[in-house]
Amino acid sequence: MTAVLRHPRLGLGQRIDDGTGGRAIVRPAARSAVALAVFGFFATLLALAAFQGVVVSGQFEFDRLQRRLEDGRDRSQLLRAEVARLESPGRILEVAGGRLGLVSPPTRFDLPSVVPGDPLTILLPPVGDPFSRTY
Amino acid sequence: MSRQPVGPAALGRGAATVEQHRKTRRRFRRRAVFGGLMLAVVAGMFGWRLASLQLLEPERFVAHGEAQRFKTLRLRAGRGAIVDRNGVDLVLSVPGQSMIANPRRVEDPVRAARALAQVLGADSEVLERRISSDKSFVYLGRQVDLEVAEAILALEISGVYAQEEWERIRPGGDSALSILGRTDIDSIGISGIELVYDGLLSGTDGERRVEMGMWGASIPGGEYSVEPARNGRTLVLALDRALQFEAERLLLERVEAVGAKGGVLVAMHPATGEILVSATVRRSADGVVRISSEHRAVTWTYEPGSIIKPLTVSAILDRAVAAPDTVREVPPRLKVHDATFSDSPFHETVELTLADIIRRSSNVGTILWAHDLGAEALHEQLREFGLGSVTDLDFPGEASGILHPAGRWSGTSLPTIAIGQGVSTTPLQMLVAYSALANGGVRPAPTLVLGTRDDDGVFEARRPGPSLSVLPAAVAAEVVGMMEQVVASGTGTRAQVSGYRVAGKTGTAWKVLPTGGYGSKGNRSYVASFAGFLPAEAPRLAVIVVVDEPSGEVYSGGRVAAPVFAEFARFAVRQLRIPSADERVEADREGRVMALTPARHAILREAAEASRLEQSGELVAASATGG
Repeated sequence: MTAVLRHPRLGLGQRIDDGTGGRAIVRPAARSAVALAVFGFFATLLALAAFQGVVVSGQFEFDRLQRRLEDGRDRSQLLRAEVARLESPGRILEVAGGRLGLVSPPTRFDLPSVVPGDPLTILLPPVGDPFSRTY
Repeated sequence: MSRQPVGPAALGRGAATVEQHRKTRRRFRRRAVFGGLMLAVVAGMFGWRLASLQLLEPERFVAHGEAQRFKTLRLRAGRGAIVDRNGVDLVLSVPGQSMIANPRRVEDPVRAARALAQVLGADSEVLERRISSDKSFVYLGRQVDLEVAEAILALEISGVYAQEEWERIRPGGDSALSILGRTDIDSIGISGIELVYDGLLSGTDGERRVEMGMWGASIPGGEYSVEPARNGRTLVLALDRALQFEAERLLLERVEAVGAKGGVLVAMHPATGEILVSATVRRSADGVVRISSEHRAVTWTYEPGSIIKPLTVSAILDRAVAAPDTVREVPPRLKVHDATFSDSPFHETVELTLADIIRRSSNVGTILWAHDLGAEALHEQLREFGLGSVTDLDFPGEASGILHPAGRWSGTSLPTIAIGQGVSTTPLQMLVAYSALANGGVRPAPTLVLGTRDDDGVFEARRPGPSLSVLPAAVAAEVVGMMEQVVASGTGTRAQVSGYRVAGKTGTAWKVLPTGGYGSKGNRSYVASFAGFLPAEAPRLAVIVVVDEPSGEVYSGGRVAAPVFAEFARFAVRQLRIPSADERVEADREGRVMALTPARHAILREAAEASRLEQSGELVAASATGG
């Protein structure tokens, strides 16, 4: 028959005689501290991993926004060119004479602008070009 | 108690074992030493390699590692746009795609070249030669359409890539091409404004340095630095796009109609020198009239003819040689040395005032007064108007014209120069001189550029060139009055603009033939021109129209160039919001705008006038006296 020998359960402050003359003392507070340290270590690792995940995801988002910004700038420049082409007098004249079939009138006169009730007084046209852009 | 073996037997067996153990130990020791040495050698080799990597040539490997990890992206600086005075884009850069290849990575050059040729529309043999070369970079097509680039990338040919580039475009086509100029395919200015202001328009590329991981994604927390690109400045021109287009349209029509070789129209604000329009058209070798890429307003010199007469007369008035109403007998022709000058149309000897001489564009009358003025005074005055020297425009290829010093003039120089022959100018020089007359005798410095604008839209005005006083304001006003008569009842009646007082002068200059001389009647070439400004009482627009070699019966400045001036001016006064004389009446009245036809307005005005007379009794009194 085999007997398993174990150290007897120790109460608080009890000591073990290991037969070598030295005595080991196990303190519960130290054990808790070790357990806490181990837990803290792994918790920190986990937190770091989570934080790294957030940073990586942020970096991806940053890269994506950077690409969108550049694409947006390119697109805006293309649209600006398209607007300039569409509103160019040459293109307007081409569409007017071509697709719309408009022709220039044989004679042309400008209507004078007058004050209501006093058609003899002609108004000054607006100062500056109201349709122009400012720079 | 047990018995132990004693004797040699027992001793011999033990000794053999000990001996065996000793041998084994010795062998093991040898092997251990050998193995240890081998390990030491290997460790030494590793150590040496480590030392060599870390200590002897670390830079190389650090650089290699960085090259793998760090990526430097070039941030392309955009070339600045060129806009007109209203902020409308005339030239701008847009992102484009160029197709490139690394021939070393192209697996089947023949097949690849055939596939690429179909999409690019290029010669497959040329493409094959390119992608079969031993280079690591070749262009397959520069600045191709986006659809073409996508189609090529869809072919998934190894070693073929797309590269982003800026492409320079003019949304208005060839309009104002001679001023705007061109860039090469790398967006470097090579002519016109693009060349002159290349330094301002070109930006400075930036770069972004990023630490990247295996799949090309940037490493979070890794090195990241950005040197932002600085785009070129936007150039704000004095041109007005709508006016420029209309001027080109009118010139194209007119040059075609009169069978001329070309034409120039330049418009300027006479007080500031801002060039609103500079249009040039030319008949090309195939006979088609097109917008020219040469800015002939400043590069082409010609003998201006009679449009120089107001400048001659201003010198006569300034030196008090005559007054506008001074009368002089003017014969139909005049012989000076070996040359005979005559007036067209022919007239008998008549008495003409100085104003009449200008109104009728009399060569003989002008020459007679110029003789009284003298060569030195005439030369000095023409110089002050800017003839014979380049303007402040700072445009490449600008010509200075020819105006020799008075000391080098021959016997016929004075009469010929006084009427605009024997002297050559550019159209712009003449316009600047006319602007000086319109501007109370102050010659403006012409300018094409108002200023620049940065990326944030902050405008920086260009400092205008110096204006020079070349004539007393009173003298300039007298000359303007004479020029008004030219348009009202002289040779320039076709330049009239309804509602505006126009001052101007026609010119029909003889052109030197390639064989020399001016030729004889019926065999001459002409340059027809008209220069003028409006409103004469407060000029806001000065215009010169020059038509080169009109063919056929219609060749005079009054019939060829003046109508173009009038058409253009009618459009320009609306575009520039220049009020007519009527529109300036009681301008401070407030109220909503109504529109009437001119006929309706005239009826109402007459009715109101009749009513006023009737009320005051003047009409009744006039009727009673039979007036």
